[in-house]
Amino acid sequence: MTTLSSAPQTPSVGSLGSSTGNGQAGSGGGAASGRAKLKSVSETKSWHSRATRYIAILAVLGAWQATGAFLAPVFLSTPTRSIVAFYDLMVNGTLPKAVGSSLLILAMGIVCSGFFGITLGTIMGRIQFLERALDPLVTFGNATPSIALLPLMEVWFGQGKLSAVIFIFIIGFWQMVVNTLAGMRVVRIGYRDVGVAFGMSKWEQTFRIYLPATQPFIFAGSRIALAQCTVGMILAGQELGQGGLGGIVNTYGTYFQTDNLIATIGTTCALALAMFTALRVLQDTKFRWIRATSAGRRGANSK
Amino acid sequence: MTDSIGSASQAGAASATHRSSTLSEAPVLSIRGVSRTFVGQERDVVALDNVDLDVQKGEFISLVGPSGCGKTTLLRVIDGLDAADTGTIELEGKRLTGVSQDMAYVFQDINLLPWRSVRGNVELGLEARGVEKAERQRIATECLEMVGLKDVMNVPPYTLSGGMQQRVGVARALAVKPKVLLMDEPFGQLDNFTREALQAEVASLWEQLGITIVFVTHDVDESIFLSDRIVVMHRNPGRIIEILDVNLPRPRTQAEFRGEHETIELRSKITALLRSQEGGL
Repeated sequence: MTTLSSAPQTPSVGSLGSSTGNGQAGSGGGAASGRAKLKSVSETKSWHSRATRYIAILAVLGAWQATGAFLAPVFLSTPTRSIVAFYDLMVNGTLPKAVGSSLLILAMGIVCSGFFGITLGTIMGRIQFLERALDPLVTFGNATPSIALLPLMEVWFGQGKLSAVIFIFIIGFWQMVVNTLAGMRVVRIGYRDVGVAFGMSKWEQTFRIYLPATQPFIFAGSRIALAQCTVGMILAGQELGQGGLGGIVNTYGTYFQTDNLIATIGTTCALALAMFTALRVLQDTKFRWIRATSAGRRGANSK
Repeated sequence: MTDSIGSASQAGAASATHRSSTLSEAPVLSIRGVSRTFVGQERDVVALDNVDLDVQKGEFISLVGPSGCGKTTLLRVIDGLDAADTGTIELEGKRLTGVSQDMAYVFQDINLLPWRSVRGNVELGLEARGVEKAERQRIATECLEMVGLKDVMNVPPYTLSGGMQQRVGVARALAVKPKVLLMDEPFGQLDNFTREALQAEVASLWEQLGITIVFVTHDVDESIFLSDRIVVMHRNPGRIIEILDVNLPRPRTQAEFRGEHETIELRSKITALLRSQEGGL
Protein backbone atom coordinates (compact mmCIF):
# COMPACT_ATOMS: atom_id res chain seq x y z
CA MET A 1 0.00 0.00 0.00
CA THR A 2 2.80 2.39 0.74
CA THR A 3 4.00 2.23 -2.83
CA LEU A 4 0.81 3.91 -3.99
CA SER A 5 1.59 7.10 -2.13
CA SER A 6 4.95 7.43 -3.79
CA ALA A 7 3.74 6.60 -7.28
CA PRO A 8 4.93 9.12 -9.88
CA GLN A 9 2.42 11.80 -10.71
CA THR A 10 1.59 12.77 -14.23
CA PRO A 11 3.70 14.24 -15.64
CA SER A 12 6.61 13.00 -13.64
CA VAL A 13 8.80 16.05 -13.69
CA GLY A 14 10.43 15.93 -10.29
CA SER A 15 7.73 17.13 -7.95
CA LEU A 16 8.14 17.92 -4.29
CA GLY A 17 5.10 17.58 -2.12
CA SER A 18 4.09 14.25 -3.57
CA SER A 19 0.89 12.55 -2.65
CA THR A 20 0.31 11.66 0.94
CA GLY A 21 -3.04 10.02 0.40
CA ASN A 22 -2.96 6.36 1.27
CA GLY A 23 -6.68 5.99 1.02
CA GLN A 24 -6.69 6.27 -2.76
CA ALA A 25 -6.14 2.51 -3.00
CA GLY A 26 -9.01 0.97 -4.92
CA SER A 27 -9.76 -1.88 -2.60
CA GLY A 28 -13.32 -2.32 -3.82
CA GLY A 29 -15.32 -5.36 -4.77
CA GLY A 30 -15.59 -8.79 -3.24
CA ALA A 31 -17.65 -10.07 -0.37
CA ALA A 32 -18.17 -7.89 2.64
CA SER A 33 -15.93 -10.02 4.79
CA GLY A 34 -13.26 -9.94 2.11
CA ARG A 35 -13.46 -6.19 2.00
CA ALA A 36 -13.20 -5.93 5.77
CA LYS A 37 -10.12 -8.11 5.61
CA LEU A 38 -8.52 -5.94 2.96
CA LYS A 39 -9.22 -2.80 4.93
CA SER A 40 -7.64 -4.07 8.07
CA VAL A 41 -4.56 -5.13 6.16
CA SER A 42 -4.11 -1.70 4.65
CA GLU A 43 -4.91 -0.04 7.95
CA THR A 44 -2.28 -2.10 9.68
CA LYS A 45 0.29 -1.38 7.04
CA SER A 46 -0.29 2.38 7.10
CA TRP A 47 -0.09 2.34 10.88
CA HIS A 48 3.21 0.56 10.51
CA SER A 49 4.61 3.02 8.02
CA ARG A 50 3.48 6.01 10.03
CA ALA A 51 5.01 4.62 13.19
CA THR A 52 8.24 3.94 11.32
CA ARG A 53 8.31 7.50 10.06
CA TYR A 54 7.83 9.08 13.46
CA ILE A 55 10.35 6.82 15.09
CA ALA A 56 12.90 7.67 12.41
CA ILE A 57 12.36 11.40 12.91
CA LEU A 58 12.68 11.06 16.67
CA ALA A 59 15.83 9.00 16.27
CA VAL A 60 17.45 11.67 14.13
CA LEU A 61 16.48 14.41 16.56
CA GLY A 62 17.77 12.34 19.42
CA ALA A 63 21.09 11.74 17.73
CA TRP A 64 21.34 15.45 16.93
CA GLN A 65 20.63 16.43 20.51
CA ALA A 66 23.19 14.00 21.84
CA THR A 67 25.93 15.05 19.41
CA GLY A 68 25.19 18.72 19.81
CA ALA A 69 25.55 18.51 23.56
CA PHE A 70 29.17 17.45 23.15
CA LEU A 71 30.23 20.04 20.58
CA ALA A 72 30.47 23.76 20.96
CA PRO A 73 27.09 25.32 20.27
CA VAL A 74 28.48 27.10 17.24
CA PHE A 75 28.77 23.95 15.18
CA LEU A 76 25.61 21.98 15.52
CA SER A 77 23.47 23.58 18.17
CA THR A 78 20.76 21.27 19.45
CA PRO A 79 17.08 20.80 18.74
CA THR A 80 16.16 22.26 22.06
CA ARG A 81 18.26 25.39 21.60
CA SER A 82 16.95 25.83 18.09
CA ILE A 83 13.38 25.63 19.27
CA VAL A 84 14.07 28.20 21.94
CA ALA A 85 15.73 30.43 19.34
CA PHE A 86 12.73 29.97 17.08
CA TYR A 87 10.39 31.03 19.82
CA ASP A 88 12.48 34.09 20.61
CA LEU A 89 12.71 35.14 16.98
CA MET A 90 8.97 34.80 16.58
CA VAL A 91 8.26 36.81 19.67
CA ASN A 92 10.61 39.68 18.89
CA GLY A 93 9.20 39.90 15.38
CA THR A 94 12.34 39.15 13.39
CA LEU A 95 11.06 35.96 11.81
CA PRO A 96 7.53 37.13 11.03
CA LYS A 97 8.91 40.25 9.38
CA ALA A 98 11.45 38.30 7.38
CA VAL A 99 8.88 35.74 6.32
CA GLY A 100 6.45 38.43 5.28
CA SER A 101 9.04 40.31 3.29
CA SER A 102 10.28 37.21 1.52
CA LEU A 103 6.84 35.85 0.78
CA LEU A 104 5.85 39.17 -0.73
CA ILE A 105 8.61 39.19 -3.32
CA LEU A 106 8.07 35.49 -3.97
CA ALA A 107 4.38 35.99 -4.58
CA MET A 108 4.88 38.91 -6.89
CA GLY A 109 7.61 37.20 -8.85
CA ILE A 110 5.94 33.86 -9.18
CA VAL A 111 2.48 35.14 -10.06
CA CYS A 112 3.91 37.28 -12.84
CA SER A 113 6.09 34.45 -14.09
CA GLY A 114 3.08 32.14 -14.08
CA PHE A 115 0.87 34.51 -16.00
CA PHE A 116 3.42 35.50 -18.64
CA GLY A 117 5.00 32.06 -18.82
CA ILE A 118 1.71 30.27 -19.44
CA THR A 119 0.70 32.91 -21.95
CA LEU A 120 3.88 32.58 -23.96
CA GLY A 121 3.78 28.80 -23.74
CA THR A 122 0.22 28.80 -25.02
CA ILE A 123 0.97 31.16 -27.87
CA MET A 124 3.96 29.14 -28.92
CA GLY A 125 1.95 25.96 -28.62
CA ARG A 126 -0.77 27.21 -30.92
CA ILE A 127 1.26 29.14 -33.48
CA GLN A 128 3.83 26.85 -35.01
CA PHE A 129 5.79 29.62 -36.64
CA LEU A 130 6.32 31.39 -33.33
CA GLU A 131 7.30 28.16 -31.67
CA ARG A 132 10.03 27.56 -34.17
CA ALA A 133 11.21 31.14 -34.01
CA LEU A 134 11.34 31.42 -30.23
CA ASP A 135 12.45 27.91 -29.37
CA PRO A 136 16.21 28.67 -29.33
CA LEU A 137 15.58 31.63 -27.07
CA VAL A 138 13.54 29.55 -24.66
CA THR A 139 16.11 26.76 -24.61
CA PHE A 140 18.86 29.25 -23.91
CA GLY A 141 16.91 31.03 -21.22
CA ASN A 142 15.91 27.81 -19.53
CA ALA A 143 19.44 26.48 -19.52
CA THR A 144 20.99 29.52 -17.88
CA PRO A 145 21.71 28.84 -14.22
CA SER A 146 19.93 31.48 -12.19
CA ILE A 147 22.86 32.17 -9.91
CA ALA A 148 24.84 33.47 -12.84
CA LEU A 149 22.22 36.13 -13.33
CA LEU A 150 22.56 37.67 -9.91
CA PRO A 151 25.37 40.10 -10.72
CA LEU A 152 23.46 41.07 -13.84
CA MET A 153 20.39 41.87 -11.75
CA GLU A 154 22.48 44.09 -9.57
CA VAL A 155 23.94 45.93 -12.52
CA TRP A 156 20.60 46.43 -14.24
CA PHE A 157 18.22 46.93 -11.36
CA GLY A 158 20.44 47.67 -8.41
CA GLN A 159 19.65 46.27 -5.02
CA GLY A 160 16.36 45.94 -3.25
CA LYS A 161 12.87 44.65 -3.87
CA LEU A 162 12.51 45.34 -7.59
CA SER A 163 15.68 43.50 -8.39
CA ALA A 164 14.58 40.56 -6.26
CA VAL A 165 11.16 40.32 -7.86
CA ILE A 166 12.61 40.43 -11.37
CA PHE A 167 15.14 37.78 -10.43
CA ILE A 168 12.42 35.47 -9.15
CA PHE A 169 10.30 36.25 -12.18
CA ILE A 170 13.03 35.21 -14.58
CA ILE A 171 13.57 31.93 -12.76
CA GLY A 172 9.91 30.98 -12.79
CA PHE A 173 9.15 32.30 -16.26
CA TRP A 174 11.25 29.84 -18.23
CA GLN A 175 9.91 26.89 -16.27
CA MET A 176 6.33 27.87 -16.98
CA VAL A 177 6.99 28.44 -20.66
CA VAL A 178 8.76 25.15 -21.14
CA ASN A 179 6.20 23.10 -19.27
CA THR A 180 3.18 24.79 -20.81
CA LEU A 181 4.65 24.28 -24.25
CA ALA A 182 5.35 20.62 -23.50
CA GLY A 183 1.74 20.17 -22.49
CA MET A 184 0.43 21.94 -25.56
CA ARG A 185 2.39 19.64 -27.81
CA VAL A 186 0.85 16.46 -26.42
CA VAL A 187 -2.81 17.42 -26.16
CA ARG A 188 -4.69 14.26 -27.09
CA ILE A 189 -5.59 14.15 -30.75
CA GLY A 190 -9.05 12.97 -29.77
CA TYR A 191 -9.67 16.15 -27.81
CA ARG A 192 -8.45 18.27 -30.69
CA ASP A 193 -10.77 16.38 -33.03
CA VAL A 194 -13.69 17.09 -30.73
CA GLY A 195 -12.97 20.81 -30.88
CA VAL A 196 -12.73 20.81 -34.64
CA ALA A 197 -15.66 18.47 -35.22
CA PHE A 198 -18.06 20.51 -33.15
CA GLY A 199 -17.23 23.76 -34.82
CA MET A 200 -15.15 25.61 -32.27
CA SER A 201 -13.17 28.58 -33.47
CA LYS A 202 -9.40 28.55 -33.02
CA TRP A 203 -9.79 30.89 -30.07
CA GLU A 204 -12.40 28.71 -28.43
CA GLN A 205 -10.28 25.64 -29.03
CA THR A 206 -7.34 27.27 -27.28
CA PHE A 207 -9.23 28.21 -24.15
CA ARG A 208 -11.72 25.37 -23.94
CA ILE A 209 -9.62 22.46 -25.10
CA TYR A 210 -5.90 23.10 -25.31
CA LEU A 211 -5.48 25.08 -22.10
CA PRO A 212 -7.52 22.77 -19.86
CA ALA A 213 -5.77 19.76 -21.38
CA THR A 214 -2.42 21.35 -20.50
CA GLN A 215 -3.32 21.91 -16.87
CA PRO A 216 -1.45 18.83 -15.60
CA PHE A 217 1.72 20.17 -17.17
CA ILE A 218 1.08 23.62 -15.79
CA PHE A 219 0.81 22.14 -12.33
CA ALA A 220 4.01 20.18 -12.79
CA GLY A 221 5.76 23.30 -13.99
CA SER A 222 4.40 25.25 -11.05
CA ARG A 223 5.89 22.78 -8.61
CA ILE A 224 9.31 23.09 -10.19
CA ALA A 225 9.02 26.86 -10.47
CA LEU A 226 8.01 27.07 -6.83
CA ALA A 227 11.06 25.10 -5.75
CA GLN A 228 13.43 27.14 -7.86
CA CYS A 229 11.85 30.46 -7.01
CA THR A 230 12.06 29.73 -3.31
CA VAL A 231 15.79 29.29 -3.76
CA GLY A 232 15.83 32.51 -5.71
CA MET A 233 13.99 34.21 -2.88
CA ILE A 234 16.70 33.26 -0.42
CA LEU A 235 19.46 34.18 -2.83
CA ALA A 236 17.88 37.54 -3.46
CA GLY A 237 17.82 38.17 0.25
CA GLN A 238 21.45 37.31 0.56
CA GLU A 239 22.92 38.89 -2.53
CA LEU A 240 20.56 41.62 -3.59
CA GLY A 241 20.31 43.27 -0.24
CA GLN A 242 16.68 42.48 -0.05
CA GLY A 243 16.69 41.29 3.52
CA GLY A 244 13.96 38.87 4.34
CA LEU A 245 14.84 35.28 5.12
CA GLY A 246 17.95 35.34 2.98
CA GLY A 247 19.18 38.41 4.71
CA ILE A 248 18.85 37.11 8.23
CA VAL A 249 20.35 33.76 7.24
CA ASN A 250 23.41 35.69 6.17
CA THR A 251 23.51 37.66 9.41
CA TYR A 252 23.19 34.64 11.64
CA GLY A 253 25.84 32.85 9.64
CA THR A 254 28.23 35.74 9.89
CA TYR A 255 27.81 36.04 13.63
CA PHE A 256 27.90 32.28 14.24
CA GLN A 257 24.43 32.29 15.77
CA THR A 258 23.84 28.71 14.79
CA ASP A 259 20.67 28.24 16.78
CA ASN A 260 19.03 31.24 15.10
CA LEU A 261 20.34 29.99 11.79
CA ILE A 262 18.80 26.58 12.23
CA ALA A 263 15.55 28.08 13.39
CA THR A 264 15.42 30.23 10.25
CA ILE A 265 16.30 27.35 7.96
CA GLY A 266 13.65 25.23 9.59
CA THR A 267 11.10 27.97 9.07
CA THR A 268 12.02 28.27 5.42
CA CYS A 269 11.60 24.53 5.05
CA ALA A 270 8.21 24.57 6.68
CA LEU A 271 7.15 27.44 4.46
CA ALA A 272 8.19 25.65 1.31
CA LEU A 273 6.38 22.52 2.43
CA ALA A 274 3.25 24.50 3.15
CA MET A 275 3.27 26.06 -0.30
CA PHE A 276 3.71 22.71 -2.02
CA THR A 277 0.89 21.26 0.02
CA ALA A 278 -1.32 24.18 -0.93
CA LEU A 279 -0.60 23.54 -4.59
CA ARG A 280 -1.36 19.88 -4.16
CA VAL A 281 -4.61 20.61 -2.36
CA LEU A 282 -5.61 22.99 -5.12
CA GLN A 283 -5.01 20.36 -7.73
CA ASP A 284 -6.87 17.69 -5.84
CA THR A 285 -9.93 19.80 -5.14
CA LYS A 286 -10.47 22.00 -8.16
CA PHE A 287 -8.81 19.78 -10.74
CA ARG A 288 -9.69 16.29 -9.64
CA TRP A 289 -9.77 15.02 -13.17
CA ILE A 290 -6.00 15.28 -13.47
CA ARG A 291 -5.40 12.56 -10.96
CA ALA A 292 -8.44 10.55 -11.95
CA THR A 293 -7.37 10.26 -15.56
CA SER A 294 -3.61 9.94 -15.19
CA ALA A 295 -2.11 6.93 -16.92
CA GLY A 296 -2.64 3.66 -15.19
CA ARG A 297 -5.77 4.56 -13.30
CA ARG A 298 -9.04 2.87 -13.88
CA GLY A 299 -11.29 5.05 -15.98
CA ALA A 300 -8.44 6.56 -17.90
CA ASN A 301 -8.79 6.41 -21.65
CA SER A 302 -5.19 5.74 -22.23
CA LYS A 303 -5.09 6.06 -26.01
CA MET B 1 -27.39 -7.56 -56.23
CA THR B 2 -26.45 -4.34 -57.84
CA ASP B 3 -22.84 -3.57 -58.28
CA SER B 4 -21.12 -0.41 -57.29
CA ILE B 5 -17.40 -0.37 -57.74
CA GLY B 6 -16.68 3.26 -57.25
CA SER B 7 -15.30 4.89 -60.33
CA ALA B 8 -15.61 8.38 -61.62
CA SER B 9 -16.06 7.18 -65.15
CA GLN B 10 -19.19 5.20 -64.44
CA ALA B 11 -22.49 7.01 -64.49
CA GLY B 12 -22.65 8.33 -60.99
CA ALA B 13 -26.31 8.13 -60.09
CA ALA B 14 -27.08 4.76 -61.61
CA SER B 15 -24.17 2.90 -60.12
CA ALA B 16 -24.02 4.45 -56.70
CA THR B 17 -27.64 4.37 -55.65
CA HIS B 18 -29.64 1.22 -55.15
CA ARG B 19 -33.06 2.28 -54.21
CA SER B 20 -34.21 1.66 -57.73
CA SER B 21 -37.75 1.88 -56.49
CA THR B 22 -37.60 5.14 -54.58
CA LEU B 23 -35.32 7.50 -56.43
CA SER B 24 -37.63 10.43 -56.20
CA GLU B 25 -35.49 12.32 -53.74
CA ALA B 26 -31.99 13.54 -54.26
CA PRO B 27 -29.48 11.97 -51.92
CA VAL B 28 -28.75 13.90 -48.78
CA LEU B 29 -25.07 13.07 -49.04
CA SER B 30 -23.20 12.77 -52.30
CA ILE B 31 -19.63 11.51 -52.36
CA ARG B 32 -17.79 11.65 -55.65
CA GLY B 33 -14.34 10.58 -56.65
CA VAL B 34 -12.85 10.78 -53.19
CA SER B 35 -9.24 9.67 -52.96
CA ARG B 36 -6.81 9.87 -50.10
CA THR B 37 -3.29 8.56 -49.96
CA PHE B 38 -1.16 8.54 -46.83
CA VAL B 39 2.47 9.09 -47.69
CA GLY B 40 4.61 6.89 -45.51
CA GLN B 41 8.31 6.41 -44.94
CA GLU B 42 8.51 3.04 -46.62
CA ARG B 43 5.47 3.06 -48.82
CA ASP B 44 2.34 5.00 -49.58
CA VAL B 45 -0.99 3.74 -48.37
CA VAL B 46 -3.91 4.35 -50.69
CA ALA B 47 -6.60 4.68 -48.05
CA LEU B 48 -9.31 5.67 -50.50
CA ASP B 49 -9.31 5.19 -54.24
CA ASN B 50 -11.91 7.12 -56.18
CA VAL B 51 -14.85 6.36 -53.94
CA ASP B 52 -18.39 7.21 -55.03
CA LEU B 53 -21.36 6.89 -52.75
CA ASP B 54 -24.83 8.33 -52.34
CA VAL B 55 -26.59 8.36 -49.01
CA GLN B 56 -30.37 8.74 -49.03
CA LYS B 57 -32.16 10.93 -46.56
CA GLY B 58 -33.21 9.13 -43.42
CA GLU B 59 -31.43 5.90 -44.20
CA PHE B 60 -29.14 3.92 -41.96
CA ILE B 61 -26.10 2.94 -43.97
CA SER B 62 -23.06 1.05 -42.73
CA LEU B 63 -19.52 0.94 -43.99
CA VAL B 64 -18.08 -2.48 -43.32
CA GLY B 65 -14.64 -3.82 -43.91
CA PRO B 66 -11.38 -4.97 -42.36
CA SER B 67 -9.18 -2.49 -40.56
CA GLY B 68 -7.25 -0.29 -42.90
CA CYS B 69 -9.91 -0.32 -45.60
CA GLY B 70 -10.41 3.39 -45.36
CA LYS B 71 -13.84 3.40 -43.77
CA THR B 72 -12.81 5.68 -40.91
CA THR B 73 -10.87 7.86 -43.34
CA LEU B 74 -13.96 8.14 -45.50
CA LEU B 75 -16.08 9.12 -42.53
CA ARG B 76 -13.62 11.77 -41.48
CA VAL B 77 -13.45 13.12 -45.01
CA ILE B 78 -17.23 13.29 -45.10
CA ASP B 79 -17.31 15.31 -41.90
CA GLY B 80 -14.45 17.49 -43.00
CA LEU B 81 -12.08 16.43 -40.24
CA ASP B 82 -9.61 15.26 -42.86
CA ALA B 83 -9.22 16.61 -46.36
CA ALA B 84 -9.38 14.33 -49.35
CA ASP B 85 -6.77 14.54 -52.06
CA THR B 86 -9.39 14.52 -54.78
CA GLY B 87 -13.14 14.42 -54.96
CA THR B 88 -16.10 16.26 -53.52
CA ILE B 89 -18.63 15.85 -50.75
CA GLU B 90 -22.06 17.38 -51.20
CA LEU B 91 -24.58 17.76 -48.44
CA GLU B 92 -28.08 18.42 -49.78
CA GLY B 93 -26.56 19.57 -53.01
CA LYS B 94 -24.14 22.02 -51.47
CA ARG B 95 -20.45 21.37 -51.73
CA LEU B 96 -18.65 21.06 -48.41
CA THR B 97 -15.50 22.87 -47.47
CA GLY B 98 -14.04 22.26 -44.07
CA VAL B 99 -15.92 20.84 -41.15
CA SER B 100 -19.64 20.60 -41.65
CA GLN B 101 -21.90 22.07 -39.02
CA ASP B 102 -24.85 20.02 -40.23
CA MET B 103 -23.22 16.71 -39.43
CA ALA B 104 -22.11 15.38 -36.08
CA TYR B 105 -19.46 12.81 -35.28
CA VAL B 106 -19.40 10.06 -32.68
CA PHE B 107 -15.85 8.93 -32.00
CA GLN B 108 -14.47 5.46 -31.53
CA ASP B 109 -12.40 6.68 -28.58
CA ILE B 110 -15.41 8.48 -27.19
CA ASN B 111 -13.28 11.53 -26.34
CA LEU B 112 -15.22 13.16 -23.56
CA LEU B 113 -13.44 16.10 -21.97
CA PRO B 114 -12.63 15.10 -18.38
CA TRP B 115 -12.59 18.63 -17.07
CA ARG B 116 -16.24 19.12 -17.91
CA SER B 117 -19.28 17.50 -16.39
CA VAL B 118 -21.38 15.14 -18.48
CA ARG B 119 -23.81 17.88 -19.34
CA GLY B 120 -20.96 20.28 -20.00
CA ASN B 121 -19.66 17.84 -22.59
CA VAL B 122 -23.02 17.59 -24.30
CA GLU B 123 -23.26 21.38 -24.41
CA LEU B 124 -19.97 21.68 -26.26
CA GLY B 125 -21.31 21.91 -29.77
CA LEU B 126 -24.03 24.31 -28.68
CA GLU B 127 -21.48 26.60 -27.07
CA ALA B 128 -19.58 26.75 -30.31
CA ARG B 129 -22.78 27.73 -32.06
CA GLY B 130 -23.37 30.57 -29.65
CA VAL B 131 -26.48 29.18 -28.02
CA GLU B 132 -27.30 30.89 -24.74
CA LYS B 133 -26.68 29.19 -21.46
CA ALA B 134 -30.23 28.46 -20.38
CA GLU B 135 -31.18 27.12 -23.80
CA ARG B 136 -27.96 25.09 -23.99
CA GLN B 137 -28.68 23.44 -20.69
CA ARG B 138 -32.22 22.68 -21.68
CA ILE B 139 -31.21 21.02 -24.94
CA ALA B 140 -28.38 19.13 -23.29
CA THR B 141 -30.67 17.83 -20.60
CA GLU B 142 -33.14 16.74 -23.25
CA CYS B 143 -30.50 14.83 -25.17
CA LEU B 144 -29.22 13.17 -22.04
CA GLU B 145 -32.75 12.12 -21.27
CA MET B 146 -33.00 10.58 -24.73
CA VAL B 147 -30.04 8.35 -23.99
CA GLY B 148 -31.22 7.68 -20.46
CA LEU B 149 -28.48 9.52 -18.61
CA LYS B 150 -30.32 12.43 -17.04
CA ASP B 151 -29.40 11.24 -13.56
CA VAL B 152 -25.68 11.59 -14.08
CA MET B 153 -25.78 15.00 -15.67
CA ASN B 154 -23.40 16.65 -13.26
CA VAL B 155 -20.78 14.01 -12.66
CA PRO B 156 -17.34 13.98 -14.23
CA PRO B 157 -17.36 11.69 -17.28
CA TYR B 158 -14.50 9.49 -16.14
CA THR B 159 -16.66 8.11 -13.36
CA LEU B 160 -18.96 6.51 -15.91
CA SER B 161 -18.63 3.12 -17.52
CA GLY B 162 -17.58 2.86 -21.15
CA GLY B 163 -21.11 2.26 -22.35
CA MET B 164 -22.45 5.25 -20.50
CA GLN B 165 -19.63 7.41 -21.76
CA GLN B 166 -20.41 6.54 -25.33
CA ARG B 167 -24.05 7.32 -24.71
CA VAL B 168 -22.88 10.76 -23.67
CA GLY B 169 -20.93 10.88 -26.92
CA VAL B 170 -24.13 10.15 -28.80
CA ALA B 171 -26.03 12.77 -26.81
CA ARG B 172 -23.30 15.30 -27.58
CA ALA B 173 -23.71 14.63 -31.27
CA LEU B 174 -27.50 14.76 -31.19
CA ALA B 175 -27.49 18.06 -29.29
CA VAL B 176 -26.49 20.00 -32.37
CA LYS B 177 -29.46 18.57 -34.28
CA PRO B 178 -27.37 17.26 -37.20
CA LYS B 179 -28.80 16.26 -40.54
CA VAL B 180 -26.41 13.35 -40.74
CA LEU B 181 -24.97 11.43 -37.81
CA LEU B 182 -21.55 9.92 -38.42
CA MET B 183 -20.58 7.09 -36.11
CA ASP B 184 -17.08 5.68 -36.20
CA GLU B 185 -17.05 2.18 -34.69
CA PRO B 186 -18.74 3.70 -31.65
CA PHE B 187 -19.13 0.42 -29.78
CA GLY B 188 -15.78 -1.07 -30.69
CA GLN B 189 -14.33 -0.61 -27.23
CA LEU B 190 -17.27 -2.01 -25.32
CA ASP B 191 -18.08 -5.50 -24.17
CA ASN B 192 -20.62 -7.62 -26.02
CA PHE B 193 -23.56 -7.06 -23.70
CA THR B 194 -23.16 -3.30 -23.66
CA ARG B 195 -22.64 -3.29 -27.39
CA GLU B 196 -25.89 -5.13 -28.07
CA ALA B 197 -27.81 -2.88 -25.71
CA LEU B 198 -26.44 0.23 -27.37
CA GLN B 199 -27.14 -1.13 -30.83
CA ALA B 200 -30.78 -1.47 -29.89
CA GLU B 201 -30.75 2.06 -28.46
CA VAL B 202 -29.24 3.54 -31.59
CA ALA B 203 -31.77 1.71 -33.73
CA SER B 204 -34.63 3.06 -31.69
CA LEU B 205 -33.21 6.60 -31.63
CA TRP B 206 -32.87 6.43 -35.38
CA GLU B 207 -36.47 5.43 -35.83
CA GLN B 208 -37.60 8.07 -33.35
CA LEU B 209 -35.68 10.97 -34.87
CA GLY B 210 -35.72 10.03 -38.54
CA ILE B 211 -32.11 11.09 -38.83
CA THR B 212 -29.64 9.87 -41.47
CA ILE B 213 -26.86 7.72 -40.02
CA VAL B 214 -23.58 6.66 -41.58
CA PHE B 215 -22.13 3.93 -39.38
CA VAL B 216 -18.64 2.48 -39.59
CA THR B 217 -17.98 -0.97 -38.17
CA HIS B 218 -15.97 -4.11 -38.70
CA ASP B 219 -18.69 -6.20 -37.08
CA VAL B 220 -20.76 -7.72 -39.85
CA ASP B 221 -23.64 -8.74 -37.59
CA GLU B 222 -23.84 -5.26 -36.17
CA SER B 223 -24.15 -3.79 -39.62
CA ILE B 224 -26.89 -6.26 -40.58
CA PHE B 225 -28.84 -5.54 -37.42
CA LEU B 226 -28.75 -1.79 -37.81
CA SER B 227 -28.67 -0.90 -41.48
CA ASP B 228 -30.83 -0.39 -44.50
CA ARG B 229 -27.81 -0.77 -46.73
CA ILE B 230 -24.34 -2.13 -46.18
CA VAL B 231 -21.33 -0.79 -48.06
CA VAL B 232 -18.65 -3.47 -48.20
CA MET B 233 -15.20 -2.00 -48.52
CA HIS B 234 -11.77 -3.38 -48.93
CA ARG B 235 -8.31 -2.05 -48.40
CA ASN B 236 -5.24 -1.42 -50.44
CA PRO B 237 -6.49 0.37 -52.24
CA GLY B 238 -9.47 1.40 -50.16
CA ARG B 239 -12.57 1.09 -52.26
CA ILE B 240 -16.16 -0.06 -52.27
CA ILE B 241 -16.59 -3.64 -53.41
CA GLU B 242 -20.36 -3.83 -53.25
CA ILE B 243 -23.41 -2.27 -51.67
CA LEU B 244 -26.03 -4.66 -50.31
CA ASP B 245 -29.61 -4.02 -49.30
CA VAL B 246 -30.81 -5.35 -45.99
CA ASN B 247 -34.34 -6.61 -46.40
CA LEU B 248 -35.15 -7.33 -42.80
CA PRO B 249 -38.34 -5.83 -41.43
CA ARG B 250 -38.21 -3.32 -38.62
CA PRO B 251 -38.22 -3.11 -35.71
CA ARG B 252 -35.52 -5.72 -35.38
CA THR B 253 -34.60 -7.50 -32.18
CA GLN B 254 -31.25 -9.02 -31.29
CA ALA B 255 -32.79 -12.35 -30.51
CA GLU B 256 -34.83 -12.73 -33.68
CA PHE B 257 -32.67 -11.23 -36.36
CA ARG B 258 -29.88 -13.76 -36.04
CA GLY B 259 -32.08 -16.62 -37.06
CA GLU B 260 -33.54 -14.89 -40.11
CA HIS B 261 -32.76 -16.38 -43.48
CA GLU B 262 -31.90 -12.97 -44.87
CA THR B 263 -29.37 -12.38 -42.13
CA ILE B 264 -27.58 -15.65 -42.74
CA GLU B 265 -27.47 -15.03 -46.46
CA LEU B 266 -26.16 -11.53 -46.03
CA ARG B 267 -23.55 -12.56 -43.58
CA SER B 268 -22.17 -15.27 -45.82
CA LYS B 269 -22.27 -12.96 -48.79
CA ILE B 270 -20.36 -10.22 -47.01
CA THR B 271 -17.83 -12.59 -45.51
CA ALA B 272 -17.26 -14.13 -48.91
CA LEU B 273 -16.72 -10.70 -50.43
CA LEU B 274 -14.25 -9.76 -47.76
CA ARG B 275 -12.38 -13.03 -47.97
CA SER B 276 -12.17 -12.99 -51.72
CA GLN B 277 -10.18 -9.79 -51.53
CA GLU B 278 -7.69 -11.05 -49.00
CA GLY B 279 -4.04 -11.30 -49.96
CA GLY B 280 -3.36 -7.63 -50.29
CA LEU B 281 -1.60 -5.77 -47.53
